[in-house]
Amino acid sequence: MAEPVLAIRDLAAGYDGRRVLDGVDLVVPAARLTAIIGPNGHGKSTLLKAISGLVRVSAGTIALRGERIDGLRPDQIVERGVIQVPQGDLLFPGMTVLDNLLMGAYRQDAARDAGARLDMVFALLPKLKERRHQIAGTLSGGERRMCGIGRGLMAGEGLLMLDEPSLGLAPIVIDQIYEVIFDLCAAGRTILLVEENAQRITERADSIHLLDNGRFVWSGIGAELMARPEIIEAYLGA
Amino acid sequence: MTPVKRDILIGLVLVAAACAVPFLFPGRYVVTQATLFFVWAVVVVQWNLVLGVGGIFSLAQMALFATGAYATAMMGFYWKVPMLAAIPLAGVVTVAAGMLIGLACLRLRGPYVALLTLAIAQVLYVLIVNDTACFTTTGGCMPLFGGVRGIGQFGDLGFRALMPKTWHIAHYFVALGLLVVAVAMSIVIIRGPLGLAFRALRDNPGYAVSRGISRFRYQLWIFAVSAFLTGIAGGFYAVHFRVVGPTVFSFQLLLFLIAMIVVGGLGTIWGPLLGAAVLMLADEGVKELSDYRNIGLGLLLVLFIILQPGGLVRLFSRRPKRAADAKTG
Amino acid sequence: MDVFIQIVASGLTLGAMYAVATVGLSLVYGSLNMLNMAHGAILTLGGYLCYAGIQHLGLHPALALAGAAALCAVVGLLIYLGAALPLLRAEGFETNVFIATIGIGSILENLMLRGFGPYPIPQPLAVPGHVVLGNVHVPLQNLFILGVAVVLMSAVAFVLERTRTGRAIRATSMNREAAQLMGVRVGRVYAQVLAVSGALAAVSGVMISSIATLSPVMGGDPMLKAFIVCVVAGLGNVYGAVVAAIVLGLLEAATQYILGVRWSFATLLLIVILVLIWRPYGLFGRTQVVRL
Repeated sequence: MAEPVLAIRDLAAGYDGRRVLDGVDLVVPAARLTAIIGPNGHGKSTLLKAISGLVRVSAGTIALRGERIDGLRPDQIVERGVIQVPQGDLLFPGMTVLDNLLMGAYRQDAARDAGARLDMVFALLPKLKERRHQIAGTLSGGERRMCGIGRGLMAGEGLLMLDEPSLGLAPIVIDQIYEVIFDLCAAGRTILLVEENAQRITERADSIHLLDNGRFVWSGIGAELMARPEIIEAYLGA
Repeated sequence: MTPVKRDILIGLVLVAAACAVPFLFPGRYVVTQATLFFVWAVVVVQWNLVLGVGGIFSLAQMALFATGAYATAMMGFYWKVPMLAAIPLAGVVTVAAGMLIGLACLRLRGPYVALLTLAIAQVLYVLIVNDTACFTTTGGCMPLFGGVRGIGQFGDLGFRALMPKTWHIAHYFVALGLLVVAVAMSIVIIRGPLGLAFRALRDNPGYAVSRGISRFRYQLWIFAVSAFLTGIAGGFYAVHFRVVGPTVFSFQLLLFLIAMIVVGGLGTIWGPLLGAAVLMLADEGVKELSDYRNIGLGLLLVLFIILQPGGLVRLFSRRPKRAADAKTG
Repeated sequence: MDVFIQIVASGLTLGAMYAVATVGLSLVYGSLNMLNMAHGAILTLGGYLCYAGIQHLGLHPALALAGAAALCAVVGLLIYLGAALPLLRAEGFETNVFIATIGIGSILENLMLRGFGPYPIPQPLAVPGHVVLGNVHVPLQNLFILGVAVVLMSAVAFVLERTRTGRAIRATSMNREAAQLMGVRVGRVYAQVLAVSGALAAVSGVMISSIATLSPVMGGDPMLKAFIVCVVAGLGNVYGAVVAAIVLGLLEAATQYILGVRWSFATLLLIVILVLIWRPYGLFGRTQVVRL
């Protein structure tokens, strides 16, 4: 089997002395959709932040294609091809959509083909092209989400991590967002997705991992999850 | 032993030691320096309530101290009010001033409060010092607030007349009494429900607000309450030195007091006291090197805030910082 | 009419000096949430370094000014490395760095007091002569200051809007975490911003001392006013701060004429307090949504 893009072993991380993640193991294979699900507050976002270098790792290792990245600066991790579309978008509110997208290509090597990438992003997300001169703070929820994803795509190929892309959106908008995500999967992107609700991804995800209280308690594929209603009820609510 | 019992025990020990001092050191110097230490300690303990417990970034404490001092002096000078009445009244005036400042500033976020309170203190200083209009002419031209030379001849507590050789010891015990009240108040507030409310506000503001804790009202309350003893300390300062001038607005003094809180430990009960003691002793030590005193003070402040922001009390506390935190699920 | 010209002339000059002093503060607060209370001392240091360059080293005034700005940029950088960086890792950064910079400012001021003495000295960098507008003599020095300020503000705006560094600074001010996720090295942004702030403070110090005099404690007042400008504009809003600085300068000139020097600061403060009661985040500040 090809080397996994991301290999996490026995990871522990947290904030201000509070341990959120404890003994986390995860393998993210190339060109696959890996999903992390679980109730809120149990560490899903913390895991992505730890991978991106925004939260300090207190124990364990994170390896990107064999090279350790835990302990590196966030900008160094981005440089090595780990791109996160954070929860809540975190757009630059005072900048236009276009400027936000261009910030996605901030890194020197990405900036070189910014033009080509912009075309690609606009092709995938035509709404963004329409609104490219609009100030990001005035966009609707779905448009903001698309802007965030577009910004992530501007950063180039590499591991794409999405933190709750369906958060706060109307169902019909969520459909549109997921259409884009599944298109990316089909094109061979390696994607690590975090969602509270497994509904949308049970069929398409190549592997699903359930994070509870800072560690993984179950892993498998969608069909297996659907066959275990007790898990769904216990961890994911009705 | 509960924390409160331990605090009371520490307090009793310290008071006993303090009572012995005038008898162990019969000369004037130690007693008068210790009296000054008590005054600053009262101010710093109050300031710690505002800054460390209330989370209010106020730099107006010295302005409030000055309000108490000036109010006392002016009541005595212009209306011949006896000092025993003037000082408590000055405390009330200071509370009023504190509430005004609080109303103006407390709806703003941290750094805004700091700048605004600093500006207010500066404006008061400028107004007093630049006033050249002669308000009265008893003993020469004197502006309303005393101008640069300050206000004198407003009376005192009476100890100088009663005990001409040992009035400084009487002042010593008055100041000690003030400090005891101040620390007791500090213990009651920090260990009591108000302290809990402020910790909640700091750790989880959304939740605290949802439980009905209004940040503005609580902060205004603690600001006003701390103003009372600060004003009284100012009044005592006035009768102790028998003159009040704009030197109380000096930035170096402000720095000196901030350093006490930082070195001792912000937000703790005994920290400010410890810091005050350390700073006063250090000041004694560098009296010779007056030029370097200020540089040394600044350096001390910077080193402590960067290397040991918890202050010296952190060295004595072996409890983990957030023992009360349960893991949130 | 003459009075009006006089007020506008001095007001714009004051505003220009405040604007240069304020932009640095605003950039620093915007990107790293730091109130640099040593700003006033750096301002003073700039004035003294320029004086020393001209008087003791015989340098050409422009060179002395540039040298002072460069050295103060280094001071800004040192403040980042020595105070901000170590404190960023711990909690309570805003409070701690505020106190730390108060201490650093005091140290700098006292060093200058020891080095140059307490007595005010004149700033040799001055352009002699006037221009006559109507019946009013406007010193060329004022126009020079205005010119320098315009050039500097334009340069800052250019860097912020059109360079990669500027985009990184703006992004970091708007959302630090997002900027990091874009690959911005925020540590470097902080260093750059503090260095620029130091250089601007130095220029401002030279300008202010050229109209008034140079003394070790001259920095406190302008720094306080610069902060007030920032607060009124909304901390972190750089362009708003420039506008507010000019307005403040004009207001100060007007109140000084109408009420006299003694009351002008008090009046300004009162106006500022009223503005803040009306708009707690400043005139142009944005309310920030805090996710709990």
